[in-house]
Amino acid sequence: MIDGLLVLALLAPLVPRPPSLVPLQDTTKGKAVYVKWCAGCHGDGGAGDGPSAAHMLPRPRNFTGAIYKIRSTASGQLPTDADLMRAIDEGLPGSAMPAWKGRLSDGERRDVAGYIKTFSAFFADTSQHAAALKFSGEPGGGTGAAALKTGRQFYDSIGCRKCHGDQGRGDGPSAPTLKDDAGFPIFAADLHQSWRFRGGGSAADIYHRLRTGLDGTPMPSFSDLIDQKFLTDEQLWRLAQYVRSLSPPDPPEVRDVIHAPQIAGPAPVSPDDSAWARADRYWFPLVGQVVRKARWFAPAVTGVWVQALHDGHTLALRLSWDDRTQSPDSAWLGFEQRVLETVAGDDSGPPKAEPWPDQLAVQFPRRLPEGSGGMERPYFLMGSETDPVYQWRWTSRPRKSVAGLARGIERFDTLPGALAGQASFDHGEWRLVFTRALATPDTANEVQLEAGRAIPVAFFGWDGSSGEHGSRMAVSTWYFLALDRPTPPGVFISPVLAMLVTLGLGLVVVRRARRRGTARAGRQR
Amino acid sequence: MTAPALRRSATHPFWQAVGILVIAYIVVVWVVPLLPGSAIVPKSVVLQYMVTVLVGVLIYVSDNEERWARFKEPIEAVLAEPRLRVVRAVLLVVVTALVGLVAYGQVATTVAAPPNLRSIHPAPPAEITFRGRSITLTGLENPLRAHPESLALYLAEGKGVYYRNCLPCHGDHLDGQGHFASGFNPLPANFQDNGTIAQLTESFVFWRVAKGGPGLPREGTPWNSAMPKWEDFLTEREIWSVILFLYDQTGWTPRTWEKTGTGDGGRGTGHD
Ligand code: HEC
Ligand code: HEC
Repeated sequence: MIDGLLVLALLAPLVPRPPSLVPLQDTTKGKAVYVKWCAGCHGDGGAGDGPSAAHMLPRPRNFTGAIYKIRSTASGQLPTDADLMRAIDEGLPGSAMPAWKGRLSDGERRDVAGYIKTFSAFFADTSQHAAALKFSGEPGGGTGAAALKTGRQFYDSIGCRKCHGDQGRGDGPSAPTLKDDAGFPIFAADLHQSWRFRGGGSAADIYHRLRTGLDGTPMPSFSDLIDQKFLTDEQLWRLAQYVRSLSPPDPPEVRDVIHAPQIAGPAPVSPDDSAWARADRYWFPLVGQVVRKARWFAPAVTGVWVQALHDGHTLALRLSWDDRTQSPDSAWLGFEQRVLETVAGDDSGPPKAEPWPDQLAVQFPRRLPEGSGGMERPYFLMGSETDPVYQWRWTSRPRKSVAGLARGIERFDTLPGALAGQASFDHGEWRLVFTRALATPDTANEVQLEAGRAIPVAFFGWDGSSGEHGSRMAVSTWYFLALDRPTPPGVFISPVLAMLVTLGLGLVVVRRARRRGTARAGRQR
Repeated sequence: MTAPALRRSATHPFWQAVGILVIAYIVVVWVVPLLPGSAIVPKSVVLQYMVTVLVGVLIYVSDNEERWARFKEPIEAVLAEPRLRVVRAVLLVVVTALVGLVAYGQVATTVAAPPNLRSIHPAPPAEITFRGRSITLTGLENPLRAHPESLALYLAEGKGVYYRNCLPCHGDHLDGQGHFASGFNPLPANFQDNGTIAQLTESFVFWRVAKGGPGLPREGTPWNSAMPKWEDFLTEREIWSVILFLYDQTGWTPRTWEKTGTGDGGRGTGHD
């Protein structure tokens, strides 16, 4: 014990002081930082009404209300200084709020945190100051089947599914009715994308949010259930661990080239074919179409997972993405109207909500790029009048897939002949498979899918129930698709030869060294 | 290893050489990227550094007869001594396997994305048409700077234009890391970097803003750039005011025509 204290005392100067102990002060300097870097979103008066605010969902925080999402304090309490510092340092992933660590100095970040507190009288009232809750440490075995089963039980029994849905994709029965305290529409978080959680994606972060709730939103605190002995603290941890298990262990990394291995059997046409279980998954982030009128600042489809396989004759491309609804869905029409009213665009007033379908498009150039290093290709945003792109488009209603040429966002002409597309919807996830012959007769318009080439490809997504259609969509940049050939046996010849030569040389060197060694030993004797 | 054995190896030229190589590798691969303003060292450059260090070490050890003989001792021992038979066998196998792996890596082709060779500041045209009106870029200055008394007003206007339009890509910190930036390639320009607006005249920036990605010449890969053609959204005055804001917020000063001369059309030198 004494030893431990001694060690602590010795280490103390080395350990950075927790930010909560560092006084947040100097609001004159803080004001300068605020006006320069925060006011554009949060507004000069801190009311969350800067010039960019109308384009955002979620809106920038209104500091005058002193209601904060990411806290270590009980529901309804003010955040601690450390909580504010954390939000400023790390940002709020999944929103427009950037991380300021590395962009502003330590002092500037502390000063600005002090300044935002001056927007509300609550912080000045010392009787209001709240202490951080005492959080227990994470119990082990959190990825085991037993823990996850316990977690799942409480997910069902304490009502998470009402908002977050059966599989956690934010599609619960209450989801279309949700609003935040300011009356703006709010999505129940998609629990399969923990890298977009505002307060961080680890099991501990999730546990903290379950203890504190996200104030100002419908997401409640569940600490009272522990007090009421409805569940134990450990069981709440299991729930957090279950939620964590729904997302990939690490945030998905974006890779440039989708590899489609060649398989022996026929290329799968169904999204639920077992062949997909073995195919690598590639994640591509989609962002708002903010390049052409009418722009769209609140894309609902945040990305697509892509898998590809071919059998030497046919390519199968599987796309899966999270979407809370099978649009059009009349239950979401009111929500759609509120989204359109909240997110400003290029139109003079908010458009009227209509029952738009969900859509997905995959885009290729008409021909594989030739010359100049194979770089040149049509404009990534659906080509142009003079240089169209070849696209596969799928809509949820009427349920159909077509191939055609796009000449800019506004113009799409279908090509004759059907495109094979099969889709299924499962608890907030669309799964879609397009299949097409590698070679087709219309070589002028339809890309010929040659093995061993980098084929440019791009993706576009629309969620009808968020009012998305036409230019209101989520877009990607150009990536590449490569149809791999099975490795020909000839490839192994040169490595084997190289190995034989190396081994032979090595043996010769050893033999000579040993002979010299014995000769030297003989001379010495 | 016992302490005396350790001390003996620390003064042995062979183990010193090994130590130097290991330290050099650690420095190049892990320490250099930590230095402010540097990036991860590419593999080919690491190889160059390591070869240089190896040559240096060999020159040093072979410089002195006795040192050279001692240096060779452990190598000869491994090659010849009967008691090191196991080490010898392991070395032979490992080296052979490594050569096989490297050779396989060379011949097994996998398709990679084509290189994105892109001119960052291509030559601007001498003249553009802006909403039907012709504007001569050569020698053009930001007209708003002619009214220093109204600068604060223009800056406020420019800030509004920036936050309503540019923010999702170029970001609040103007470092090209807005919340939509990750969806685009090339990434949105980083104005804090000394290689973008710091190198350019305001007329060049005006051209890039007004005409956007689609207005780039071929060497600028116009098919990839997500930069909108702001002529469709903003007035001439709004573009000049947002340009004022870019320089004011980052603290850079624009390149002036006196300094560029007339040859390079207002873009920085050595930046293509
Ligand atoms: C690009 C726009 C933008 C800028 C610039 C910005 N913020 Fe934010 N900020 C947001 C948004 C949007 C939210 C709300 C996110 C949410 O509710 O999920 C937010 C939320 C916050 C919160 C609330 C965290 C919580 O727990 O509720 C704090 C604190 C904050 N910002 C501080 C700052 C500071 C300090 C600066 C300047 C250094 C700044 N912000 C700059 C957009 C911005
Ligand atoms: C009344 C509806 C509702 C219920 C019930 C609900 N949530 Fe939420 N939850 C939300 C909303 C809305 C958000 C999004 C908040 C935001 O965007 O800031 C959210 C966000 C979250 C987040 C993300 C936190 C972050 O840092 O962004 C997690 C994790 C979560 N909920 C888990 C749960 C779990 C587990 C339960 C059950 C114990 C639950 N929620 C119950 C509405 C609800």
